[in-house]
Amino acid sequence: METEMGDWIIGVMMAVFGLIGLFLFGRAADGEMAVFGASLAAFSLIFVFGLIKQNYDRQDVARAQAKDSSHG
Amino acid sequence: MAEASVAGAVRPIVYNDAIVKKFIIAAMFWAIVAFLVGVYIATELTWPSFNLGLSFLNFGRLRPVHTSAAIFAFGGSALIGTSFYVVQRTCRASLFGGKALADFVFWGYQFFIVMAALSYVMGYSQSKEYAEPEWHIDLWLTIVWVAYLLVFLGTILKREEPHIYVANWFYLAFIVTVAMLHIVNNLAVPVSLTTAKSYSVYAGVQDALVQWWYGHNAVGFFLTAGFLGMMYYFIPKAANRPVYSYRLSVVHFWTLIFLYIWAGPHHLHWTALPDWTQTLGMAFSIMLWMPSWGGMINGIMTLSGAWDKLRTDPGLRFSVTAVGFYGMSTFEGPVMSVRQVNALSHYTDWTIGHVHSGALGWVAFIVFGAVYYLVPVLWQRKALYSTRLASWHYWIATMGIVLYIVSMWVAGITEGLMWRAYDQYGFLQYSFVESVVAIHPYFVVRLLGGLFFLIGALIMVYNLIQTIISPTTEAPRESAGYPIGAVPAAGE
Repeated sequence: METEMGDWIIGVMMAVFGLIGLFLFGRAADGEMAVFGASLAAFSLIFVFGLIKQNYDRQDVARAQAKDSSHG
Repeated sequence: MAEASVAGAVRPIVYNDAIVKKFIIAAMFWAIVAFLVGVYIATELTWPSFNLGLSFLNFGRLRPVHTSAAIFAFGGSALIGTSFYVVQRTCRASLFGGKALADFVFWGYQFFIVMAALSYVMGYSQSKEYAEPEWHIDLWLTIVWVAYLLVFLGTILKREEPHIYVANWFYLAFIVTVAMLHIVNNLAVPVSLTTAKSYSVYAGVQDALVQWWYGHNAVGFFLTAGFLGMMYYFIPKAANRPVYSYRLSVVHFWTLIFLYIWAGPHHLHWTALPDWTQTLGMAFSIMLWMPSWGGMINGIMTLSGAWDKLRTDPGLRFSVTAVGFYGMSTFEGPVMSVRQVNALSHYTDWTIGHVHSGALGWVAFIVFGAVYYLVPVLWQRKALYSTRLASWHYWIATMGIVLYIVSMWVAGITEGLMWRAYDQYGFLQYSFVESVVAIHPYFVVRLLGGLFFLIGALIMVYNLIQTIISPTTEAPRESAGYPIGAVPAAGE
């Protein structure tokens, strides 16, 4: 429960950071801000993909455990 | 996710050790980066043409890369990683917030480091020592730091041990105070929301005072309190002895916390800062001798009855030598804070030598000791790949530190004396460039010292990689049901 809730909160937060990154990248007035904005957007996207993958990994493990216990 | 299950008395506790492993790997990576950049800029100082005429290789841009990589990337990763390890064991609780929050702290912190380093080499800086990142990177670090505080504090709050072990007190003081220092010192008004340039809300001598209130307490709470948490956990564990005096550790904590926060003005002796403020900073710096040496004695005396282990355990040798360097640099610091001594030492390379006796001797060595202990435990190996290599690391690194700090002492005193020398007509006896020429040989020795330290660290990384990739031969040293470092490790 704690994990699921944590995933959602962090996931939504990262989505917001990703949008902020895109905004900064799009409107950057200097090179440093452009690099930061693009990196923030990419970092947020990859992090959210990581959360989605971990969720499926957990489901796979739970499914495998359920299968093992039903056979056992 | 590699997790260690420990059968507690009531229900099994699943520790998140995957996050600790990530931080340890990151710390080792950043250690090499920090030492390598340090050696490179030491080469530039000795032979300036090594900047190759390229702006991004300029000393002014690479110096904050070196300091940030050493303090925040190497030291910070080691601190956060070990704090997550220690708080779980001593509280008999898994990390608060689940895997996602811990992962956010790790990746968010690494993102901060990379962004800060990139901004330095691109030429962006607030021009505040140890607080160089511009406002947007500061904001990002604040978010990550609050997440870190949440994980750490949440874990303490849900602990299943009634007692909060003293190491956690030090770690928590480090987290809370660094948050406060970071926010106050970095208050700034950006030129616009899309510009990486801001202006501090402080001006003149107030700006300088806030900066050195931050700067000195970055030393006090980031580089001291946090690593003392490491000391109070890993030395008793490695020595398999209780802390010499648990009461002294609590006295050490409260006195250190109370006194350190006032010492910052000693960085501004002989400036426009009011005289009484300088005296205040000096007085509190001298008072800091007592808690610092109390802590040192506590750390070293923890080995009572286990001194023989220094012969066989190079990790423990690193930790104990670190405590020795802690004692030495916390003696030297108050001496340098005395206004008359400061008149000689300030702006010279003596300060650089002092900082490195703390950074290399105390901070890096206490981390090496903890890492040599942790890697076999986390990766479930019987022992290190090679104790002999760890010993070589110890001696090469120690020689490196000695070369470094001795050369900087001599260089610093030479500079100080040359700058204040007058001839019979009242004119300065030496031009600045003459003092630069005079200390050139010591810069070469310093470079050698840094090179030794880097070589030692490379040996360590090779040893750790071999330890990790070697096949598992035995169950982890700490698989027993009792949580590691819980109160009994503190000597109760």
